[in-house]
Amino acid sequence: MNNKFDALKDDDSGSGSEDIKDDSACTFEDVEPGAGEHPLQYTYCFWYSKKPPGRNQDASSFEKNMKIIGTFRSVEQFWRIYSHMIRANDLTGHSDVHVFKGGIKPLWEDKANRLGGKWIVRLRKGLVARCWENLILAMLGEQFMVGDEVCGAVVSIRFQEDIISIWNRSANESQVTSRIRDTLCRVLNLPPNTVMEYKTHNESLKDRSSFRNTEFFTR
Amino acid sequence: MSESKGIPIRHIRLNHLSELPNDYGTTPGGTFYSTTPGGTRIIYDRSFLLKCRSSPMANTPPSNLPDIPGVTSPDKSPTRQITKIKEEEEIANKDGSNGKENGDSHKDEEQFDLEI
Repeated sequence: MNNKFDALKDDDSGSGSEDIKDDSACTFEDVEPGAGEHPLQYTYCFWYSKKPPGRNQDASSFEKNMKIIGTFRSVEQFWRIYSHMIRANDLTGHSDVHVFKGGIKPLWEDKANRLGGKWIVRLRKGLVARCWENLILAMLGEQFMVGDEVCGAVVSIRFQEDIISIWNRSANESQVTSRIRDTLCRVLNLPPNTVMEYKTHNESLKDRSSFRNTEFFTR
Repeated sequence: MSESKGIPIRHIRLNHLSELPNDYGTTPGGTFYSTTPGGTRIIYDRSFLLKCRSSPMANTPPSNLPDIPGVTSPDKSPTRQITKIKEEEEIANKDGSNGKENGDSHKDEEQFDLEI
């Protein structure tokens, strides 16, 4: 049983470990769209990670707890994997599902993420499945219109709230981050006063936390 | 050479968010063959992606799916059942309709307003 006080402690979406090898490109196995399938602009991987209950995590264990579920390069390949996964509303414990471009690990230290950051939206329980789905569909369908900036999306299941995030390469490009925010509001149908938060991965590395000390923006 | 003209711009005043057209911020005709500055990008809108879900190609089980209970297969552990029941009670108590998820979110239902 998850200790709820542990769940309130902060989580990492990166390990902060200096041992991270920058060999993401080497370990990534690309796939091709099948014949007659609709290709996506990029290859993506589904990742899953879960924080083991109780123990304090050491820096390197975060990456070890992360696992690839599948890799896809077409709309049909995406649905095949996604349809065989449990819906986000039914995920338990302190866990995350990540959809990241092939060759980019969902870690702060990955080469593609080092200068980047993420928008996050906090959701009360019950809403996450639809929002997560809309977010991934927008990302895979290239709705964000920021060139190559988007790195991936994450859904984070926590004790009393769920959080969806979208990661981009350049935290300091305000036109890019503004456009991503506007698209997020549109594709998720967020109400006008929704608080959106942005946090650079560099800040996350410093305070070893994904979701604390974010910058707040009201739409 | 023909004369150059400025691109005509139309200003529209909106009095309410509901007046925003459904396709605001989308690429016109935004599907497969859309061209964007810098080259052709493969763009799909949400309804198109959802339609693809029902094709036979999208429904064969993936070959290398790792078995992760609770993620790729149902998690039948007792602690999971307890957490699930508690969460469902909480959601039911908070509000009526918006909290409950339908079984098939992949149907192209109207988007509800989120109360966050």
